[in-house]
Amino acid sequence: MTLLEVRDLNVSFPTADGVVRAVRGVSFDVEPGRTLGIVGESGSGKTVLTQTLLGLTPGAEVTGNALFEGADLLDLNEDELRRVRGARISVIFQDPLTSLHPLYKIGWQISEMIRAHDKSVSKSEAAARTVELLRRVGIPKAETRANDYPHQFSGGMRQRAMIAMALALEPRLIIADEPTTALDATVQAQILDLLLRLQEDLGTALIMITHDLGVVADIADDVLVMYAGRAAEKGPKRDIFYTPHHPYTKGLLESIPSSSAAGGRLKPIPGQPPSLINLPSGCKFHPRCGYVFDRCKEEEPVLRPISESGLHTSACWLPAASAGLSAEAEKVREETVQAERGDEPAPATAAGNEGSVA
Amino acid sequence: MAPAADRDDNVLVRVENVVKYFPVKAGGFIRHTVGQVHAVDDVSLVVERGKTLGLVGETGSGKSTLARCVAGLIPVTSGKVFLDGTDITRLSRSAMRPLRRQVQMIFQDPYSSLNPRRRVGAIIGDPFSIHKTATGAERKRMVQELMERVGLNPEHFNRFPAEFSGGQRQRIGVARALALRPKLIICDEPVSALDVSIQAQVLNLLSDLQQEYGLSYLFIAHDLEVVRHVSDKVAVMYLGRIGEAAPADVLYTTPQHPYTVALLSAAPAADPDSAAARQRIILTGDVPSPIDPPAGCRFHPRCPKAQPICGVEEPPLVPHELRAGPAADGSPDAGASPTAADVPGGEAHVTACHFPVSPGESLVTAGAGAAGTAANGAGKGESA
Repeated sequence: MTLLEVRDLNVSFPTADGVVRAVRGVSFDVEPGRTLGIVGESGSGKTVLTQTLLGLTPGAEVTGNALFEGADLLDLNEDELRRVRGARISVIFQDPLTSLHPLYKIGWQISEMIRAHDKSVSKSEAAARTVELLRRVGIPKAETRANDYPHQFSGGMRQRAMIAMALALEPRLIIADEPTTALDATVQAQILDLLLRLQEDLGTALIMITHDLGVVADIADDVLVMYAGRAAEKGPKRDIFYTPHHPYTKGLLESIPSSSAAGGRLKPIPGQPPSLINLPSGCKFHPRCGYVFDRCKEEEPVLRPISESGLHTSACWLPAASAGLSAEAEKVREETVQAERGDEPAPATAAGNEGSVA
Repeated sequence: MAPAADRDDNVLVRVENVVKYFPVKAGGFIRHTVGQVHAVDDVSLVVERGKTLGLVGETGSGKSTLARCVAGLIPVTSGKVFLDGTDITRLSRSAMRPLRRQVQMIFQDPYSSLNPRRRVGAIIGDPFSIHKTATGAERKRMVQELMERVGLNPEHFNRFPAEFSGGQRQRIGVARALALRPKLIICDEPVSALDVSIQAQVLNLLSDLQQEYGLSYLFIAHDLEVVRHVSDKVAVMYLGRIGEAAPADVLYTTPQHPYTVALLSAAPAADPDSAAARQRIILTGDVPSPIDPPAGCRFHPRCPKAQPICGVEEPPLVPHELRAGPAADGSPDAGASPTAADVPGGEAHVTACHFPVSPGESLVTAGAGAAGTAANGAGKGESA
């Protein structure tokens, strides 16, 4: 049974400059025990999307549904939400130093959160459970370290403490928002390893929000690629990485420096993401897309199936056969673009307008 | 005053045994020094003309401090930094001034490194005013040329930084660094604040400029793939020292220092199949405090290959002759005796380790700690 079912979620913020349309019509499912990776650049709406589910976007205009354990999260009042947050769905934020209170001991903060949700737990029971949790996430000498303040922990240990806190009430779903972005590579490896292991042990579902495709490749089962507040592409991890369909996904994958292309030129995506107040017409990626044709400028594509299984979906007008990074796929793309553009001369490729800045 | 080695025209920057300690003060009324942060501890390296030396390392490894020493922004505790044969660590302010034009920096954060209340034209034109090389209309013309060269619209001369995106701001930083036609640009995490698609734009720009102007780069980053992409030579720092250095391809294909091996295995690649296949080495613990670095090899408390000698004797940074196959019997590999050519940043592959990792040797062992779930069946116990 699906754990979380988000349907047609729209989030916008009225501001003095105009309405910021942060999330537009996003739908996705999270299955128990699985990991959904949400990838996107700054401003793609990935954080707003998940914070809205937990009622953490005050002032936003929200429409859509988010069914979690039989209730619509978007309909819950503040009291009901408080019972869900932390207990059924918990969050791990990017910067553990700003998410921990600097003046309270780490152990106290975790115990307090246990007792806030379940008054029947005594202080000593909560303290014992806290030590057990800290041990579980790999804090050495957990009994004594529980009495430390956040500043006495290193960055990696603080993130471990945050994970301990997120696990405290055995939630069904953990939302991790860039949990390793502030950490060094070797510490990031420790934390990802820990998350994977805990997930195996506890069967918790995980939503991993990140801009790092490497992290997603490592930890996710399914991937949702977001661009300008909308789902550009969605599917099982291998489909997204090996047969990407949306030119944005393809561009992201190609702009990462990798060992295969060492020393050569990188293929950046030209231009920059659009303003969420003044979105372009049609497909929101079309001003940066190398395969743009008339339809892209007029009509906004929605997710449609690319693979036979129907699990891999993409919001792009190019034919399904053009999925992938191979030469054949490139040929299909070029031919489609040529046919669509009709009388225009040779199609401009992504490489052709590389490096240009709007 | 230049030493013989610097007649070698290939070398632009030569760093010799640079040490930088920061005092740790305590006490309320009478402040006194209670310790030293060993930020950079006896580091030597060279940056070749027209080439890029990549410097990788984690937080606190001293890479940014070293860069600031090379730029002459902070005094060294001891050691020498030769720029084009001149030791800049002993120069007076006025003698230093003309040399400052030759070394410029690009910083990590394009938001905090540009004054938000000054116009872009003024920011990029500052170097011309400070060094009195151009004024008035000529200055404006040169600034606009620079803006065009780095891919900014020259008509945006009068805009404020807030009107530009992150990638464009980093281009402003590049234009400012380029203004005085420096020989060396120190790039301190120049793309880590940028989104992936924008990051590639800036990296391509840096590589174009290098070819056009023959620039040398000292390129600092924590992203190993980015460093591999831009660098000719790479040095790996750990707790204030260089652990390993080699030409980029050599370092990435046959790393010898266990720390380099762990670092390379830790960086997730955007390739699900290799991510699953890779044997990640999960180092236990955190980087120790640079106030009181471990005795012997600084990496030994976290090293999967550590032996008693590692905690006692600091291994020298020397070349090692290693062949593929199982590791030797456990006697330390003394390595070859170093020659003048074996300084990091040169052609040699040098490693500071008693037990360097042979090609093909696996560091993932069954006993690699409780955290070692990645260690399934990979270790043959050869690195115990």
